[in-house]
Amino acid sequence: MARSRAFDVRRQSGFAFVALSCFVLLYLPIILLVVYSFNAGTSIAVWEGFSWQWYVSAWQNEKVQEATILSLIIATCASIVATSAAVMAALATTRTSKFRGSGLVFAMINQPLMIPEIVTAVALLIFFAMIKVATGYTGIWYLIIAHSAFCIPFAYMPIRARLQGMDLNLEQAAADLYGRPWQVFRRVTLPQLWPGVLAGAMLAFVISLDDVVITEFVKSAGQDTLPTYMLGQLRRVITPEINAISTVLLAISVALVVAFYMLSQSKKQ
Amino acid sequence: MIEISGLTKTFGSGDSAFTALKDVTVTIEENEFFTLLGPSGCGKTTLLRSIAGFVDPTTGSLTINGDDILSKAPFDRPVNTVFQSYALFPHMTVSENIGFGLEMQNRPKSEVQSIVQEMLELVQMTALADRMTSQISGGQQQRVALARALAPKPKVLLLDEPLSALDFKLRKEMQIELKRLQHETGITFVFVTHDQEEALTMSDRIAVMNGGRILQIGGPREIYDHPAERFVADFIGDTNFVSADLQSVEGEAAEIVLPSGKAIQARSVTGGATSGKVTIAVRPEHATLTAPGALIDGTLQNIVYFGTDTHYHIETDANSTFVIRRQNQPDAAESQKIGDKVGISFNPGVAQVLRD
Ligand SMILES: Nc1ncnc2c1ncn2[C@@H]1O[C@H](COP(=O)(O)OP(=O)(O)OP(=O)(O)O)[C@@H](O)[C@H]1O
Ligand SMILES: [Mg+2]
Repeated sequence: MARSRAFDVRRQSGFAFVALSCFVLLYLPIILLVVYSFNAGTSIAVWEGFSWQWYVSAWQNEKVQEATILSLIIATCASIVATSAAVMAALATTRTSKFRGSGLVFAMINQPLMIPEIVTAVALLIFFAMIKVATGYTGIWYLIIAHSAFCIPFAYMPIRARLQGMDLNLEQAAADLYGRPWQVFRRVTLPQLWPGVLAGAMLAFVISLDDVVITEFVKSAGQDTLPTYMLGQLRRVITPEINAISTVLLAISVALVVAFYMLSQSKKQ
Repeated sequence: MIEISGLTKTFGSGDSAFTALKDVTVTIEENEFFTLLGPSGCGKTTLLRSIAGFVDPTTGSLTINGDDILSKAPFDRPVNTVFQSYALFPHMTVSENIGFGLEMQNRPKSEVQSIVQEMLELVQMTALADRMTSQISGGQQQRVALARALAPKPKVLLLDEPLSALDFKLRKEMQIELKRLQHETGITFVFVTHDQEEALTMSDRIAVMNGGRILQIGGPREIYDHPAERFVADFIGDTNFVSADLQSVEGEAAEIVLPSGKAIQARSVTGGATSGKVTIAVRPEHATLTAPGALIDGTLQNIVYFGTDTHYHIETDANSTFVIRRQNQPDAAESQKIGDKVGISFNPGVAQVLRD
């Protein structure tokens, strides 16, 4: 009877140790970061008692305010643009008959995931520099465009997954009942797709909010998003203010990821 | 009137090419209950979807009341479909589902409302009008799917095995209800099933399909009593196959000689041979048990009592089994016993010559 069981990694010796180390390495630094954001002193390593002062100072810091507003504007615009593009891309790759090179198109939509970010950043830097020279424009649209582009694959994935899981018969039934393609999309496809669209938009938002590398290369002088502002601060004095900002960013990301998770669960009911 | 002519559909190309419809030609009359019957994979759904516009036939023509519809998109065709899986919109209520087609046709709101009411009454779903479609039973979903397809009053209603998911009792009820609906609305029904009994009880005419071809088209009685091919005879009901010699054919009458040397008149088949070796089909209930020296002789091998009737399995001289079905009379003692020498007899015109 005692036939060897299927391989169960949990029964290997040392599993508990490895697993525990991974969790400690992953989460201990974050926990420390959060804890020291409440430090009463100016050190990020020596605990001197509890205080909200760094949150207050970050809140009142004009630079932080500006960077936050810029970050939110860029993330909002980028997630809207990226999600719209992703919906169209997902429709084109799941609702049309297979065409020559559809595999290539799929790969190209996902390329920002595969090309090293630094390469994209340098390429954009050079490309936008040319445009800046030619036009003289130095506003935030470079950042919005760049963020939109690299957010597309993140928005695309949940939307495509949702579309693939949808019953094609529903759209055919709508067409059978005299629905024109646009009406079918608006009345049947989109309402079904909605959780995927929201999830994709939230992912894109978080990814944009979080980006350093491309932003650092593309931004014009004087522009700062929260992450690039923090990077700049690190080169000078480090105070728990950085911890406080990080903690707020973390809270936003966690909230969005939890919402994303709940949405992706709700579709399965 | 739907006229389908030379319709062929090949999926894929090259090595993986598969022809699901082969030269299908059929005319479906106005207000007819027309059934496509055949085993799984024979192309029923493909034919139905060609009419609805979700399959693009490779060659052939398809007209409804003289209009060529092959060039039209699904939303432009005067047909509605009841999908096998129902395909109800899960984010809409029962009423919204039923009203969808009318809304897409831009009918005025008041008209939509009154037709939806009418449809709800027709399928007896008024009480559940505001439920979401995920919150109603399978049988109720089926009725909503039917109401949704009927609401725009299409010229043609296509039904793809709409009853297959229902349990026996509900299926019987829905069969009667469908027939009533078809009668009341005067809409042409094209109904797909692989259930021969369902086809026989509901249809005005049946097309029996196999391997992408229509083998025979006819009324239920004609298909049952006079199957043209071995496949049709075998697929619908039980049949005895006997080989015979075809002497001559004159119209519907065919003179055949059985292996016993006895001659009898059988029914000829269009497009079949006019002489030589043929196979004939005889239904078990069309033959009678007699004394030896009849058309075919044999030995009684088995007697199976079924309540309403009794089956006699007879080993014929040709070393094969022939089954006779006899309706039981009250309190009649069984006069035959296993091992008896018996004869098999049937009337002229009962045996059907098969095409192959
Ligand atoms: N899109 C497709 N690509 C390739 N082959 C297909 C496609 N659709 C159907 N077929 C094939 O065509 C044949 C007929 O399919 P169809 O769905 O019409 O069968 P059916 O008679 O409706 O069977 P069932 O009773 O099982 O529903 C099948 O062998 C099927 O595998
Ligand atoms: Mg089918």
